[in-house]
Amino acid sequence: MNVFRSFTAGLKELLRRDKTESELNEELNAYLQNAADAKVQAGATPEEALRSARLEMGGMESVKHQVRTAGWESALEVFAQDVRYGVRILLKSPLFTAVALTTIAIGIGANTAMFSLVDAILLRPLPYPDPQRLIVVGTHQRDESGMSAMGTADFLAWRDHQHSFEQVAVLDGAGSSFALSGMGAPEQIPGVGVSANFFSIFGVAPLKGRGFNPGEDLPGAPGVVVISEQFWRDHLGSDPEVLNRTLTLNGKQHTIVGVMPAGFRFPSRRPVDVWAIHTLNPPTSRPPYGLIALGRLKPGISIRQAEAELDQIAAQVTAQFPSSQELVGVMMPMKEWMVRDFSTALLVLLGAIGLLLLIAVVNVANLLLARATARQREVAVRMALGASRKRVVRQLLTESAVLSLLGGVLGLLLAWLAVRAFLAFGPGQMPRLNEVGINSGVLLFTFVICVGSGILFGLAPAIEISRPSLADPLKDTTRSSSPASAHRTHRALLVFEVALSLLLMIGSGLLIRSFVRLSDVNPGVQADHVITAAISLPNKYAEPQIQQFWQQFLEKAGALPGVKAAGITMSLPPNLLEITNPFTVEGQGYDRHRQSQLAEEMSVSPDYFRALGIPLMKGRFFSPSDRVAGEKDPMIVIINETMARQYFKGKDPIGRRIQTGDPDPKSPWETIVGVVGDVKYSGLDSAPGPTIYVPYNENAWAGWAREMYLVVRSTGNAPDLVPAIRTQLASMDSTLPLAQVHTMEELLDESLVQQRFRTWLISGFAALSLLLSAIGLYALISYSVSQRTREIGVRVALGAQRSNVLGMVLKEGLQLLMFGLLLGLVGAFSATRIMRSLLYSTSATDALSFIATSLTLVAVALLACYIPARRATKVDPMVALRYE
Amino acid sequence: MAEKNTALVQGTLDMLILKTLALESMHAHGIGLRIEQISQGVFQVNPGSLFPAFKRLERAGWVNSEWRATENNRRAKYYVLTASGRKQLKSETRDWKTQSVAIARILEA
Repeated sequence: MNVFRSFTAGLKELLRRDKTESELNEELNAYLQNAADAKVQAGATPEEALRSARLEMGGMESVKHQVRTAGWESALEVFAQDVRYGVRILLKSPLFTAVALTTIAIGIGANTAMFSLVDAILLRPLPYPDPQRLIVVGTHQRDESGMSAMGTADFLAWRDHQHSFEQVAVLDGAGSSFALSGMGAPEQIPGVGVSANFFSIFGVAPLKGRGFNPGEDLPGAPGVVVISEQFWRDHLGSDPEVLNRTLTLNGKQHTIVGVMPAGFRFPSRRPVDVWAIHTLNPPTSRPPYGLIALGRLKPGISIRQAEAELDQIAAQVTAQFPSSQELVGVMMPMKEWMVRDFSTALLVLLGAIGLLLLIAVVNVANLLLARATARQREVAVRMALGASRKRVVRQLLTESAVLSLLGGVLGLLLAWLAVRAFLAFGPGQMPRLNEVGINSGVLLFTFVICVGSGILFGLAPAIEISRPSLADPLKDTTRSSSPASAHRTHRALLVFEVALSLLLMIGSGLLIRSFVRLSDVNPGVQADHVITAAISLPNKYAEPQIQQFWQQFLEKAGALPGVKAAGITMSLPPNLLEITNPFTVEGQGYDRHRQSQLAEEMSVSPDYFRALGIPLMKGRFFSPSDRVAGEKDPMIVIINETMARQYFKGKDPIGRRIQTGDPDPKSPWETIVGVVGDVKYSGLDSAPGPTIYVPYNENAWAGWAREMYLVVRSTGNAPDLVPAIRTQLASMDSTLPLAQVHTMEELLDESLVQQRFRTWLISGFAALSLLLSAIGLYALISYSVSQRTREIGVRVALGAQRSNVLGMVLKEGLQLLMFGLLLGLVGAFSATRIMRSLLYSTSATDALSFIATSLTLVAVALLACYIPARRATKVDPMVALRYE
Repeated sequence: MAEKNTALVQGTLDMLILKTLALESMHAHGIGLRIEQISQGVFQVNPGSLFPAFKRLERAGWVNSEWRATENNRRAKYYVLTASGRKQLKSETRDWKTQSVAIARILEA
């Protein structure tokens, strides 16, 4: 059949309703006349003929109806009619509508908001051409998991000998920042050093100017820099003549050669203002490992093949540096690398919020079901008048679709607000946040869950109510009793609801417990009264000058009024660890196949320990009178408790010697002079490991002392010291910024932002789900009590005690609760396993969380049942019996 | 109404209307009467099926309609077979013949 013709004909009829109707009338009348004429010819009188013709024709209206429904447009009309009717019904019971709409809007809004995050961060491909060919590359030891940074020797060998990638680039993994001076007060801006071909790997054109040219990353090339759109806007006033202007970064002139568009952000966890050149000098040793390599795979080459190639190249590098450890290549698609520790948390949140939607749907279904029994008579009348069951179900489903779509529109509004709030106040350090928004994909998702939940919560009541038992509700004029089957559905839904909310509550219980444990972790320092900041010295300070600078600065800072102790360090707890280094204890031997034995290593000034409140266990701290190591004076180190315990098993480590770096008998010996308490340098949730402290003025560490954290303990309010410290710094070099100023307490707090955020979020969902379940139980029991008023009246009249009645009603609620609990516990045992990676020293089946949340649920649910049950005990038998 | 004897085989009404119109254009009552007469009273077509069928056929483009005067000088809507309707009738007739022969064979086997 010609679809187009049918479509236009239907449309025409819809638009010219009256004309079509009158033509149909005329035609049917003509038919009647013709039939009558034929009968007259056959010998009947005109009256008789018309009468019998009418009889043969049957109902004129019914014929017209059949003609009308022959075209597709009638379905549309029926739908419009149902929608009108549905809206009218909803308006008639505003309280019901308000409760149902709010429930749906919250469910759908929360899901839409969460999905827009998941969509932007996990689902959508990276906004670069052929993103699946973008790979992040590193090296690690064969038995290690995860991505580790690369050393210069490995990268250079790989860059020159690999054939799997079209291009490979590198960035400085430390993701450092730059001191910007010469533009008002000196400040520290976020940036990263990259190789010259970095931008061409991505295939993104600059907004202005160009990326780096080949050769600009060779030693001795003039300084060039590419800036972000935001930096251009905020710092340079969107100057159209920005190209060829210069910036003073770390005391050196850099020419601006390009501006990257706003959508480009890599690395993506925090903003990047400038991309500068990271020059690779020919390596003299294999470590340190501080580079992140990137590449664009050639088409048709798999990651496995590329990894195998890198393994071979790494083996050659190992041969070149025989004392270094054996390393193999590790590669990861760029997207996977960017979202690495967020995907589990996001998916768990999406799952939790999906459960919340299900609970909301169940609640609305129960509301509709309770209302449906009240509408039994209306439906029975319609069916008695000839409506088919299909027609009735369709009409009821249309009603629930109207409800869910209205709820969806409200939900979308909520989601929009939630996403804005999240971007403004949520944890900022997430990848790809700049891509989050409500787009067509998210809208489609919202529409699908709207329609889906509309059908879900509409179907059970619709089927229930249209059960073909016409006689009962029609006969029964005073009491609208629900059929047993409706009650059964109602109760099954509630069991399901209780189970789902228990699942959510257990999940949040686990997260809360893990979070409490994490906040209770002893960071190993006394965080109060401590202010920290970062200072980095530009290249104009040669290495001996670096040490002089710090010595002077610390002397002056330590003498400032209100300062108890001032120190500097390379790394700060809880998660600003700079390097780890292999070490060898005297007498251990030099087998380089030995299980890797790494220590956090950092150079610090003598007063650092006092400034941060790290306790001395044995021996002594460093002292300003320690002489720099030389021919006579050996190098000295301080180790932490864990290292003393693990490697000196009960013996006194003071005076014993270690070597650091790859196992090599020729490495210099370092003597242990002290043991201090453990400090969490690599995150509050990390296990304690060995730590080695060395004096900052040790010659081997002079280069590392260029960028140090300042730690100052105050006698009063720590932030009050900042202006004095700034003045102090400016008096020594006015181009140096005092960057990243935070109190130690802030640093500890910030390191838990992600965990706190997801714990709050899931707990919020769990609380909502508990509330919804309680409302559901309350509604069911109230409803059941109102249905049984007469029965209760009879019982009381026959001598039942209040406690009997109370017990009887509560029993019904308790049964549901127990089934729900059981189901929820079984579900939780199998489902919480996926959260394991989010939990800190808490088992996924932690008994306390399971029991405490179950008890909470039972308590709230009992209260929800008790209120209506108490009402049942107040039933006056006389009133109840007259109720009929 | 002895519906069982006079009910049409599902889906054949459209074909019978087309066939009736192939001889001459006709109005609704005439078509019903003609089908009843030619089938010698086996098929009676009631208006409740007839009029929806006209709508279907018109939508499909197999018939057109126009208002004309009848032999009794009344106005009636006449249905006229179109060229594509004629083609449709041909193919439906062919299909029907094949099918009825096949059915007859099965029943006699």
